[in-house]
Amino acid sequence: MVPLARKTLVHEWRRFLPSALAVAFSGLLLLVQAALVFGIFNSSAVYIRKSGGELWLGYPGTQSIELGRPIPQQAEIAALMDPAVGRVEPFNWIDGDWRGPADKGGVSVFVSGIDTRADALMFADALTPAQRALLDEPDGVIVDRADLAKLGLSVGGQAVINGHRVRIVGVGSGLRALGGVNIVTSLATSRRLDNGDSGGRVAYYVVKLHDGADAAAARKRLQPQGQARTFEVWTRDAFARRAVTYWMFETGAGLGVVLLAIVVFVVGALITSQTLMGAVAGSIREYATLHALGVGFAQLRHVVLKQAAWVGAFGLVVGGVATALVVLLAHRRDVPVQLDLVTIAVCATLVMGIALLSGLAAVRALRHADPALLLR
Amino acid sequence: MNAALVADALSKSFTTGAVRTDVLRDLSIEIAAGELTLVSGPSGCGKSTLLAILSGLLRPDGGRAFALGQDLARLRPAELERFRLHHTGFVFQGFNLFPALSALEQVMLPLGYLGLDDAIARRRAADALAEVGLGSRLQLKPAELSGGEKQRVAIARALAKEPQLLFADEPTSALDAANGQIVIDTLHRIARTHGATVLCVSHDPRLVGHADRVLAMEDGRILADRRTGAPMPA
Ligand SMILES: Nc1ncnc2c1ncn2[C@@H]1O[C@H](COP(=O)(O)OP(=O)(O)O)[C@@H](O)[C@H]1O
Ligand SMILES: [Mg+2]
Repeated sequence: MVPLARKTLVHEWRRFLPSALAVAFSGLLLLVQAALVFGIFNSSAVYIRKSGGELWLGYPGTQSIELGRPIPQQAEIAALMDPAVGRVEPFNWIDGDWRGPADKGGVSVFVSGIDTRADALMFADALTPAQRALLDEPDGVIVDRADLAKLGLSVGGQAVINGHRVRIVGVGSGLRALGGVNIVTSLATSRRLDNGDSGGRVAYYVVKLHDGADAAAARKRLQPQGQARTFEVWTRDAFARRAVTYWMFETGAGLGVVLLAIVVFVVGALITSQTLMGAVAGSIREYATLHALGVGFAQLRHVVLKQAAWVGAFGLVVGGVATALVVLLAHRRDVPVQLDLVTIAVCATLVMGIALLSGLAAVRALRHADPALLLR
Repeated sequence: MNAALVADALSKSFTTGAVRTDVLRDLSIEIAAGELTLVSGPSGCGKSTLLAILSGLLRPDGGRAFALGQDLARLRPAELERFRLHHTGFVFQGFNLFPALSALEQVMLPLGYLGLDDAIARRRAADALAEVGLGSRLQLKPAELSGGEKQRVAIARALAKEPQLLFADEPTSALDAANGQIVIDTLHRIARTHGATVLCVSHDPRLVGHADRVLAMEDGRILADRRTGAPMPA
């Protein structure tokens, strides 16, 4: 068989380029959007994932880390009594009002009070022991370097949180939070910044189990029973998932993303089908001649769908490369982006769907491949 | 019924807006195999319509059309497609070649749809191109061929299917006199050597001397039927 579809594509690539670019652009939009969404939503779990420990103790029903409330100290005591527990580390989480340079106004911030020992669990993967040590300076804070501009300060700069003076002693990365700037301090500093509202209580305890201990079983033992629970226990993964689920589904952001993806899909399909129909219509007299010679519509349709599949594949590659570049750039700029294989596969399927649907639309151009057209 | 093509009291009209035009009026002819029959007449007299009906591309309003003894009205669309695939070749005024394909591939393409495997299709296509005098032009694309050569590729494309019926609608209208003559002589020779029924319709009076039989058509009717005794082209 003469490979008509492929030869025509190669020879008349200029005619097919607009549809391939439309496919590539749809792919880029879908993928980048997905990368941003997952990046941003997962950043709500980033504190959990970048920390050590297997169990988290927090206020009952807490849906996401920034919604933490103080819990009683008996939670720590209960944990320490369990034979599987190796270590319990307090993690404080309070809201703060940041006042820096006058031209930046007030910024609402989250203050994370962490253990500053070199082998501490909180932010084990985000802060080096040296950075932690800097926090031993009273009223010293570390911020994400990507937030410095927002705060209008650099290292060594001073500001006021909740009426207390603080000093930026260092910068980290991967500390950005959803909905506010994250400020990391020592536990002692965080208690001072809290103005004593929590009576010395902290929002979370992070638990490290002995090596080889069963986290699920330990969680079950530690989880208080009955109605009057004063704290709840989650495994690290479960708590991280709660945060992502909360942002995805409870805030309406997830629905917005789905709607936007539908819009991208529809617009992409419209543009692709229009351009592909044009490209196919350019060969209409040749198709009509084949039809006169007895080649059936079904076979002509096959040629067009093959072209659509090639256009889709090409668009996918171009869109994929463009996405890789955008994601790389985003990484450099500390914009949270994240793509996994499942997301890529879903987007690729959608994009191929756009191409094939457009191919089906272009098949309509073939209906005009009436041989009678050639007789006038 | 010995004739390869029979038109029996064909009528056809088109309605555009409120205007109804009778294009064919009670037209009857019989066309024999092995010769080139030319339907000649002014533009708009219904030649293309007649050719479309006899080749199974168009249904008449009245009368019947037989091709190879088959009443075309009795065939369903898919059967008509298959009939055309196996028995008919077409040559049109515009050559309608795929810009992406070489001469050889243009001719091979319909053979693939006939179910021939590549080696056989390639041999048949090369033979057909040699027969129209393009044996040395197999690898050229339409952009590299002259108008006359393109039309001869189109003839080879029709010929390679080894059809019993070959239809040509204004095959020389886009060509200069010399190339037009080559094309009509090629069609003439195919009728003789392959025993094919070649029906050519054209408003070009210069073709009259190259056909075995000329039907003069005007206003949807055949006015004259003349044998020319044209010599076998060299
Ligand atoms: N599909 C159609 N719709 C309307 N009118 C048509 C159609 N096809 C042909 N005609 C009209 O029928 C007449 C004969 O057309 P045609 O058979 O193409 O003539 P010829 O080939 O002899 O020039 C013309 O007046 C043409 O305008
Ligand atoms: Mg005509």
